[in-house]
Amino acid sequence: MATGKYVSDLEAGDRLGPISYEVSAFTVREYCHSVELDHEMFLGIETPVAPPTLVHLDKLKLYEAACPMGTGPAARVHIEFDATYHAAVPVGTHVDVVGVATDRFEKRGRTYVTTDIKMTEARTGRALVDYRDTVILSYTGKSGTGATQ
Amino acid sequence: MTAPLKIGQTFRAAPRAMTRERMRWYVDAQATAVANDGKPRFGGPTIHDDDTYALSQGLPGIIADGMVSTNWILSLLIDTFGPAAISHGRLQTKYVLPVYENDVLHTQAEITALETAANGQRVTLKVSCENASKAPVTVGIAEVLLPDA
Repeated sequence: MATGKYVSDLEAGDRLGPISYEVSAFTVREYCHSVELDHEMFLGIETPVAPPTLVHLDKLKLYEAACPMGTGPAARVHIEFDATYHAAVPVGTHVDVVGVATDRFEKRGRTYVTTDIKMTEARTGRALVDYRDTVILSYTGKSGTGATQ
Repeated sequence: MTAPLKIGQTFRAAPRAMTRERMRWYVDAQATAVANDGKPRFGGPTIHDDDTYALSQGLPGIIADGMVSTNWILSLLIDTFGPAAISHGRLQTKYVLPVYENDVLHTQAEITALETAANGQRVTLKVSCENASKAPVTVGIAEVLLPDA
């Protein structure tokens, strides 16, 4: 187990979460506004829903919970987003989210980690979003203190 | 969508420049949305919003978070297919080239397959964002389930 410190420590098999929360209109509006998803179903007040891309934030929440010391010595770079969505997620839905680091590998001198994340409806256990995220943990290997993605 | 869909049919969004502000909006929105307490947050420093930090990581300047272009693709899918684009389906995007400040991105989606599904029609698309040199920077696939009328 490599959780408890830095994201850059993650190893295959590490479990992240679970976390639980209620999808809020504030979160959806802020997120969608920032990426110019200016559709009223995201920014408005009548039956607002979350975009499936919002699951990217769950990775960050899982990282925060499992790796409270932060990113690690170098910038993390997002390489791939892969989400399968099974149902729209209305604002107000209570969700459970779990993740597992499924792979850690080297490629051209860089370290990659793949994380599988599952979002389910808390009340029913119904699958909402399955998300696979791939990042480069150490973009250059140089020292630094910032974080990203 | 009222006209029949065809394989090879291509949808395009208006070009957008990846300005410094667009990069920062996502950085700050992530922090704001994750905090979810109604207050705006500063999300940096990251390689997306801080020149000094980006240079320290071996980059020539700040680069965009891949999720910005992913959401621009999602926006095109919603504009094309409506709410069905976020209900049942898949969006997979891979970030194959960095997007630098003021790169102008051309977002497009091309239908590659049309299948009859249990409750509608499954549309598979090749999606991408290209820079002004027509080099793909974000590539992937999308699936949208269009329910029977």
